[in-house]
Amino acid sequence: MFELLSHYYNWMGMSPASIITTVFGAFCVTFAVIICWGRLVEDFGAIGGMLAASFIIGTFWLLNHKLPGFGINPEGIPHPDGGPKQFGMVYQGFRGASPWVDMGTAIGFGLWFAGLVEAARGQRFKLVVESLPRVGAAILGGVIGGAIVGLVGWTGANLFGYR
Amino acid sequence: MRYLSTMIGGAICGALCFGIWPEMWKSYGIMGGWITAAIVIGICWYMNHWIGVIRNPPGKLWVDQGWAVAAAGIAWTMVRFNAPILRALPVVLCCLVGGALAGIAAVPVKKHLALVRLQKTSADGGNSDV
Repeated sequence: MFELLSHYYNWMGMSPASIITTVFGAFCVTFAVIICWGRLVEDFGAIGGMLAASFIIGTFWLLNHKLPGFGINPEGIPHPDGGPKQFGMVYQGFRGASPWVDMGTAIGFGLWFAGLVEAARGQRFKLVVESLPRVGAAILGGVIGGAIVGLVGWTGANLFGYR
Repeated sequence: MRYLSTMIGGAICGALCFGIWPEMWKSYGIMGGWITAAIVIGICWYMNHWIGVIRNPPGKLWVDQGWAVAAAGIAWTMVRFNAPILRALPVVLCCLVGGALAGIAAVPVKKHLALVRLQKTSADGGNSDV
């Protein structure tokens, strides 16, 4: 399997180990969110949601997205073979080489898909059609917010040496 | 109108995540990242899902703010670091596969656990605080 995956390495831009860690990291966080979050909210109300946000997302952020060195600066701890060292489970190319793929992708899709699995067989298509505009609106909003935050790279502020 | 509020909620969540998270991580390392999850995701969840800025009618498929965070991450790196969007595809695909597997695995577990809980609460005559 390793050789099979390695065969497509250049085409995919990910090493086979990264594929395994990414899928596993995405699985873990989504499973925990689906099982725990609703129950925490049931038991503790809004406080439960806050708890879930910090404990589930905070802890799984550590598993999935912690980065080499300080911050998003991949030169912090270089790999002996060159290039940056990868610590998080969800694969990230070094800065600028690939977009940031957040574990939110897995959580959003996982919750949506869990609803789909739970639904009765005949209902599924209707549910998907109903939810698509909402998903589209959420994604569009995310694109707007993320792009505007990204613009700070162009404001020329160089206060502390960060780009 | 509700789609507009969904969009605004997504935009705020995405902007908060990628405006604050890298800076907190740079400043305070791992604990900064953990605290950011508590404050950013906590506040955004409260606004988007507890109060209900992101539209989620009962009995329909759940639309999470995770979609907005995912889109914001990709847009943020594209604008700020000129990242090529196609390089995100394999990672996104892996994330979707992981999320789908978790959805398939979690639904029966969740159903079973809900059943267990129901039996527990009805066993003591409905007197429990739960």
